[in-house]
Amino acid sequence: MAHIHLGDGSFPLWAVALWTTLGAALVGVVVYRIRKGGIKTHQIALAGIGAAASFAVFQLNIPVWGGIHMNLTGLVGILAGPLLGALIALVVNVFSAALGHGAVGLLGANTLVNASEAIVAYYAFRTLLRTDWDVFPAGAGAATLGLSAGAILMGAIIVVSGVNGSALPRGDLTIAVAGLVGLNLGVAVVEGVLTGFVVQFLASVRPDLVGLAGRTTGEESTGVTA
Amino acid sequence: MDRPKGYGGLAGLFAGCLAAGFWGFTSTGGALPWAKRSAQALQRGARADGGALVDLGRGIVVAGPIRKGGLMLEFAGVVVLLAVLGIGLYAYASRYRGLDDAERAAR
Repeated sequence: MAHIHLGDGSFPLWAVALWTTLGAALVGVVVYRIRKGGIKTHQIALAGIGAAASFAVFQLNIPVWGGIHMNLTGLVGILAGPLLGALIALVVNVFSAALGHGAVGLLGANTLVNASEAIVAYYAFRTLLRTDWDVFPAGAGAATLGLSAGAILMGAIIVVSGVNGSALPRGDLTIAVAGLVGLNLGVAVVEGVLTGFVVQFLASVRPDLVGLAGRTTGEESTGVTA
Repeated sequence: MDRPKGYGGLAGLFAGCLAAGFWGFTSTGGALPWAKRSAQALQRGARADGGALVDLGRGIVVAGPIRKGGLMLEFAGVVVLLAVLGIGLYAYASRYRGLDDAERAAR
């Protein structure tokens, strides 16, 4: 759920320029790789559905940990892949900022945060499956790791940038941000469990959607045949 | 599949994250909505407080800027637009894949 909920003008101008440049560079690399490598039709469809689900969930505040929202970026990364996952993060942040949820000036920073969640979740899921983890723990663990990475990046961006109007010394700001990052790790567990169930369900009905077409996902065969 | 390794690793990861989450919850003001918690922590620093981890009485609500800004219709519109696009693309992809398979079989 990592997302920088600060208004426009909260970051110094150099920081806004830096994160916007880095966000634009990431999107540029992603678009270049998509154009060069091509993309499967079903992945585009999944990206559309993923963007809709992620945007809707992004705006819903659930009454856990005091009131938080989920992103589904881990699930989006696992289903749509790291490239489309990064683009979905951009789309969701653009629509959210247009409705006032997140600052327009922080689009670059928030895109970096959410794209990192999707990218890390995708590669963690593939790695965990290769190390012989079951689908549920691999999906849940990958989403949790992805969201944790996003939370840490969010904290780093705030600490590096500093906050306009805050009289906190850098050390106190770092402690406060560490608390916010810690809370995000707890939220990642909630979202990780949800992602694990969704991925396990998809693996049982449409294993091709999660790249498990050639993998045994259910109970092991007993070897008895009719 | 190595189930003990997978579920054991997941339990360890969850335990670490939940411990960090609980520390973050108490050290940044306790039971506060995220936007208020974030603004308060970044302006005034970490302040320990408590409260319920789950408050079902509050229910699921739409984010404050949308709800208070009177943008519920726009929010619903964007969700419907993205959902229709996604489902339309999914239906197209399924159909396209079916045609592709049929052509391959015919060859």
